[in-house]
Amino acid sequence: MTRRYLVAALAGITSFAFAQTEPLPKAETILDHYIEVTGGKAAYEKRKNQIETGTIELKAQGLKGTVLRYAADPAEAYSIVEIEGVGKIEDGLDKGVAWDKNPMLGPKIKTGQEKAQYVREAAFNSPIRWRELNSKVETVGTETIDGELTYKVVLTPTEAPAETMYFQKKSGLAVKTVTTVVSAMGEAPVEMFASDYKTLGGILVPTKITEKLAGQEIVITLSDVKTNQPIPPDRFDPPAEIKALLSKAAEKK
Amino acid sequence: MRVLRKCPLPDSRGSVGGWAWAVVLCAVAGVLEGQALSSDKQRQIASFEKVWTTIRDKHWQKNPAGLDWQAIHAEFYPRILNARSDEEALAIMREMLGRLKQTHFGIFPAAVYNDVEGDGGGDGSAGIGTRVLGGQAVVMDLDPGSSAERAGVKRGWIVQSVNGKPLGPVIQKLESDADIHELALERAVHARLTGMIGDTLAIVFLDGSNREVTRNLELGMERGQSARFGNLPPLHVFFESKKFGNTGYVRFNMFLDLVRVMGSFGEAVQQCMQCDGLIVDLRGNPGGIGGMAMGMAGWLVDKPDERLGTMYMRDATLNFVINPRAEVFAGPVAVLVDGSSASTSEIFAEGLKDLGRARVFGTKTAAAALPSVFERLPNGDGFQYATANYISEGGKPLEGVGVTPDVEVKLTREGLLAGHDAVLDAALEWIRKKK
Repeated sequence: MTRRYLVAALAGITSFAFAQTEPLPKAETILDHYIEVTGGKAAYEKRKNQIETGTIELKAQGLKGTVLRYAADPAEAYSIVEIEGVGKIEDGLDKGVAWDKNPMLGPKIKTGQEKAQYVREAAFNSPIRWRELNSKVETVGTETIDGELTYKVVLTPTEAPAETMYFQKKSGLAVKTVTTVVSAMGEAPVEMFASDYKTLGGILVPTKITEKLAGQEIVITLSDVKTNQPIPPDRFDPPAEIKALLSKAAEKK
Repeated sequence: MRVLRKCPLPDSRGSVGGWAWAVVLCAVAGVLEGQALSSDKQRQIASFEKVWTTIRDKHWQKNPAGLDWQAIHAEFYPRILNARSDEEALAIMREMLGRLKQTHFGIFPAAVYNDVEGDGGGDGSAGIGTRVLGGQAVVMDLDPGSSAERAGVKRGWIVQSVNGKPLGPVIQKLESDADIHELALERAVHARLTGMIGDTLAIVFLDGSNREVTRNLELGMERGQSARFGNLPPLHVFFESKKFGNTGYVRFNMFLDLVRVMGSFGEAVQQCMQCDGLIVDLRGNPGGIGGMAMGMAGWLVDKPDERLGTMYMRDATLNFVINPRAEVFAGPVAVLVDGSSASTSEIFAEGLKDLGRARVFGTKTAAAALPSVFERLPNGDGFQYATANYISEGGKPLEGVGVTPDVEVKLTREGLLAGHDAVLDAALEWIRKKK
């Protein structure tokens, strides 16, 4: 959800004129406005799948790589991040099975909150599905980011950790998200900053996302988004190692 | 994106290992170059501030060791101002770090750096691996095809001198410094056996009959394949896999070259599913990428949600969780360690030991598990600090403690000369009895 929002964020032309002295706008209003400034509900609904390409960089470590991500309506995903010296990091969601696989830690099927968070993030066209994906949304205050006033909106899903999103008052754009990353390896606060908006795949998206996690900074730069492409039907199939884990789990039952 | 969640931080602990020393010493030049301090006093103050600020900003606890770190500054700063010599300033800074009562925080006089670094450096290697036994550098390994092997150097020989410079005094000096542990000592010896490719080292050995023999050894490429990982310089990583009878054996010199080493480890285990046992030899392995320990353990541990331990950082807690593979080796596992096994090697060995999944053979490890960083201070001294704490699954910190083997076995020169590896032999015997 978070990333979908960030990727789908669009530089707003419409003025979202809330005076500072006025009461805070409702979260529902901010989120619906966000859909409008990022292209409108109809534009989202035309999108049935998408393929994103880009690069990734961990500057402090001097690591660079590429990002390729497939996603399809309503909730199918497959991504592959390839980093020199680290190898191919893959993850995906297919028929409710969330998984990841990388050369270091091996294959894994996600469970619990980790799975819930992944499923939430993988929801296709998530900006227009905020009502479905959250049990509660609330505007909790304002904050100035890079000289721009933003509204802080807390989105609380049923299972995954809550997210605090920061929408610019002026543009309606989401420029920052704060949440907690959940995995079997632990929980950690993460901050994501969105910038450099461009029109890709029919909507405006931030082509630069800077993620700060555990003292590390990751920069993802999106170069292209293609929508409604002929994606092979087996693209979302889990790899053999994941299938083997699924078989093993089934045997144990 | 969830990349970091799947890509645990490279364990910079390798800083104490050979490759990391190189990184540290490379970084040093930049630090020194940037300083233009005009007096000893300014350098002392700048060094103090560097140490104090680093702890304030990078210690894994916001209040380092529960201390009021600002108050520590107020207490020690006036003393630095009044320090009458570099030695006194060093003692004051060490006292300040001592308040942490935590290992991996230390200041090393510039001279110690020079002793460890030696005159070596470069990618060239004579192909000799040594261990310091009884105050002497004894040949333990000979790289296949190396100039040392071709020249007839044997395991168990003692390295007396290199290019006319005796090793004994260096070893004695470093062994007498309580702040220098075995790992650094081994690296100091190793540095003297390296140089530029194509150079020749005149090495005087004591052979098996204690006669002095000289070998002029041309330095060739280090064993293994060159591997890159981010900002680290290219490092040579080797992985070997073989069988002793029906017991599998794997050995690799560091947890790096991730894709190749992890792939090779997986292949070795898969080809050994019916073996009587598996031996993972981590002797001399200074560590590397911490996450690789978890991935390797996934081939050996079948129970879900097990972990090797937990790393505590300022903003996050990282569980070293094991993801069991679809097919896991179920036989006995022996892990071989020594005083040069550090960091990820210790995390792997102690974690599997705590889980009851492996029996550890050899000698106590380096007790250097934390991800730590070395930086040069403005006054030229070296400053080591840790950025995380690590507790093994059994609940004990490895830092400053190390892994105590289940079966302590020491190498002896006599054994090496006779062609025996006492540690390996003990592990093989244990597996044989488990059959």
